[in-house]
Amino acid sequence: MPDPVLQVEDLCVSFTSGGVTADVVRDLSVRLDGGRTLAVVGESGSGKTITGRAIMRLLPRGASARGRIVVAGREMLSADERELRRARGSDVAMVFQDSMSALSPYLDIGAHIAQAVRLHDPSVTRRAARARAVEMLDRVGIPEPADAVRRFPHEFSGGMRQRAVIAMALVNRPALLIADEPTTALDVTVQAQILALLRELQQEYGMAMLLISHDFGVVGRVADDVLVLYAGRQAEYGSLRDIFEQPAHPYTAGLRAATPRLDARLDTGGERTRLRAIPGAPTSLRDAGPGCAFAPRCGLADQVGERCVVEAPLPTVRPTSEVGGLHLAACHLDRLPALQEVTR
Amino acid sequence: MIVYIARRMVTAVFMLLAIAFVTIALFFGASKDPARAMCGKPCPPETRAKVSAYMQTDQSAVWQYTEFVKGLFVGRTYGEGAQQVHCQAPCFGYSFPNRSDVTTLIAERLPVTLSLALGAAVLCLVVGIGFGALSAIRKGGIVDRFSTGFAMFGLSVPTFLVGLLVVQVFGFMLNALPYSGFVSFSESPTDWAWHLIGPWMVLSFILAAGYIRVTRTQLLNELSADHLVAMTARGASTRQVNRHAVRGVMVPVVAMFALDVTALLGGSVIAEKVFSLHGLGDLLLSGVNESDLSIVVGVTLFSAFLIIIGNLIADLLMPLLDPRIRRA
Repeated sequence: MPDPVLQVEDLCVSFTSGGVTADVVRDLSVRLDGGRTLAVVGESGSGKTITGRAIMRLLPRGASARGRIVVAGREMLSADERELRRARGSDVAMVFQDSMSALSPYLDIGAHIAQAVRLHDPSVTRRAARARAVEMLDRVGIPEPADAVRRFPHEFSGGMRQRAVIAMALVNRPALLIADEPTTALDVTVQAQILALLRELQQEYGMAMLLISHDFGVVGRVADDVLVLYAGRQAEYGSLRDIFEQPAHPYTAGLRAATPRLDARLDTGGERTRLRAIPGAPTSLRDAGPGCAFAPRCGLADQVGERCVVEAPLPTVRPTSEVGGLHLAACHLDRLPALQEVTR
Repeated sequence: MIVYIARRMVTAVFMLLAIAFVTIALFFGASKDPARAMCGKPCPPETRAKVSAYMQTDQSAVWQYTEFVKGLFVGRTYGEGAQQVHCQAPCFGYSFPNRSDVTTLIAERLPVTLSLALGAAVLCLVVGIGFGALSAIRKGGIVDRFSTGFAMFGLSVPTFLVGLLVVQVFGFMLNALPYSGFVSFSESPTDWAWHLIGPWMVLSFILAAGYIRVTRTQLLNELSADHLVAMTARGASTRQVNRHAVRGVMVPVVAMFALDVTALLGGSVIAEKVFSLHGLGDLLLSGVNESDLSIVVGVTLFSAFLIIIGNLIADLLMPLLDPRIRRA
C-alpha cells in the first residue's frame, strides 16, 4: 500500500478558556489516499471545521492539538513555523465556506493567486506569477481570465468567487485539499457546478480531498468515504455506500432521515414521507459525562439501557459491502433496527 | 478621476460662498453694530452714523455679501481721501480695530496654529494608533484595560478641564513646563517644542481617544477576518499577515485624521485660550468679542476652506486604500 497523503492518529483538540479545558475533537484517526475524497459530516459544533483547521495548524488562539498528523510525509504537529509555512498552500491547501470573507477586499483576484505562487517560489517574477493566475482562472472556468485577474472580490458573483478561491488553493498543486463547506453559501445550480469542478480537478491532479460538509446531498455526489462526527468523536466511518445503505450508528441513520431527497417517493413506494428531525441539540462539550455523547438524543438508548450512560462506545468493525473496505461505528448496538424506529 | 476632482472643486467653491453668506447674515442678525465699538465714548448719533458709513456696516446683509465677494476678486476700498484704506484682492475684509486687513492677520497667526495642530496631530496618531493596536493585539490585557479607560476619559472630559489640569500640574505644581507663550520655530526649535508640549498633550489627549477606539475595533475585526486565515493558509508568515491587517485599519483612520487635522488648523479656541497662545482660535474669539465682522467671516471661511480641502484629500485617498470605494 502506498503512503497515504493524510494520516491522522488519535487527534485530540482542546480549547482552554478561563481555566476550563474542553475537548472539541477526541481520539480521531483518519487515513486518506491520493485521488480519494473523504467527507467529514456532522452538525455545527461537531468538530469538523476544527479538524480541518488542525490539519493545517490553523487553530484559533486557545486551542491545542495532540496526537499525530502527517500530510504528504510531513509531521504537522511537530513542525516549526518555517516548515509549516512551506507546507501550507503547497502540500495542503484550503477552500473556505465564505468566499467573500476568504478573499482580501484590498487585493485583486490576480494578486491573491500570484501571492500563493510567489510565497512558495520567490524566484517567480511578479509578471510570471500573474500569468500563472490568468492560466489558473481559465482552468477553473472563469470567462475572460485576462480581464478577471484585475477585478476585485466584490466585483465577482458568489460562484465566480468560489472558483477563484479554488484556483488560489490549487495553483501550487497541493497533495491534499481541505474543502470546508465549499458550496454551502452558493445556490443549488452553482453548487453542482462547483462540485463537478472540484471532482474534475481532483482527478486531473490526483490529489486527496477532505470535504467538510453537513449536507448529505453534497456528500453523496463527491465522497468516496464518509466520516460522521458527533460531539468531536468518530460516530461512524465507512464507504459512501455503507454509510448510505447500511448505517450502523443511530446518529448517521438520523442524519440520513433528516436529509431531503428528490427520490424519496420512490423509496417508500410512492407514499409521502416527512423529513425527520433528530430531537434535541448536541450536548455541551464541557459537561460531557462518561457515557455515549449521543445517548440523550438517541431513540435506541432505552433498548441498550444503562450501558449508554456509563460507558462511551468505541468504534468497532461492522459489516461492509465493499471488498477490503472498512466500516466502523461507535455504538453499543450491534445492529440497527429499521430506520423508522431509530428516529421514533 | 479628473472630472471627479473638478466637480468636487466646483462644489467646494459654492459651499464656501454659501458659508460666507450664512456667517454674514447671522452676524447682522445679532444686531450688534461694529461701528459702535469703533466710535469711542461718548458716541453721538452723528459720529456713529459717519463711522458706520465709513466701515460700510450701515448697509444690508445682502449688500455686505456682494461687496465681500467682489472684494475677493478685485479688492475693496473703505472711506475717502486721507482716511482711505485699501484692501488688496483677495480681500477677506478689513479689521478696523486692528487696522489691518484680515488676510495679514490670519497670516500672522497661522504659524502658531500650524505648530499647535501639526504637533498635536502627530502625537495623537502615535498615541492613538499605538495604544489601539497594542490593546487589539493583547485584548483584555493590562494595556487594553488601561487604554480603554484612557479613551473613555478622553472622550468625556472637556478640553478646558484637561487644559487647566495640565497647566496646574505641569506648569505650577511640578514647575516642569511653561504654561503660556510661544516661541517661533525659526528662533529656537527646542524652545518652540518646549513651549508647545503642554498644549500638544491636551489636544492629543482629547483626540487620541477616537483613534484608540477606531484602531482597536478595526484591528480586532481584521485580525479575526477569514481572509487573514486564508492568507496564512496560503503560506504567509505572521509578519506578512499582520502587515496586511494594517491596511484595513488605515481606511477609517485616514478619514478621521483628515477631518481632525483640518479642524485643528482652523484654530483650537479653548487650548489657545488656556495656554495664552495667539493663534487663529484666539483671533476668532477676539473678533467675536469686539464685534469685528471681517475677522469672524475671514477666519470662519478659512477654517471652512481647510475642512473642505481636508475632506477632498481624504476622499481622494480612500479609493487608493480600499478598492471597494472605487467606481462606487
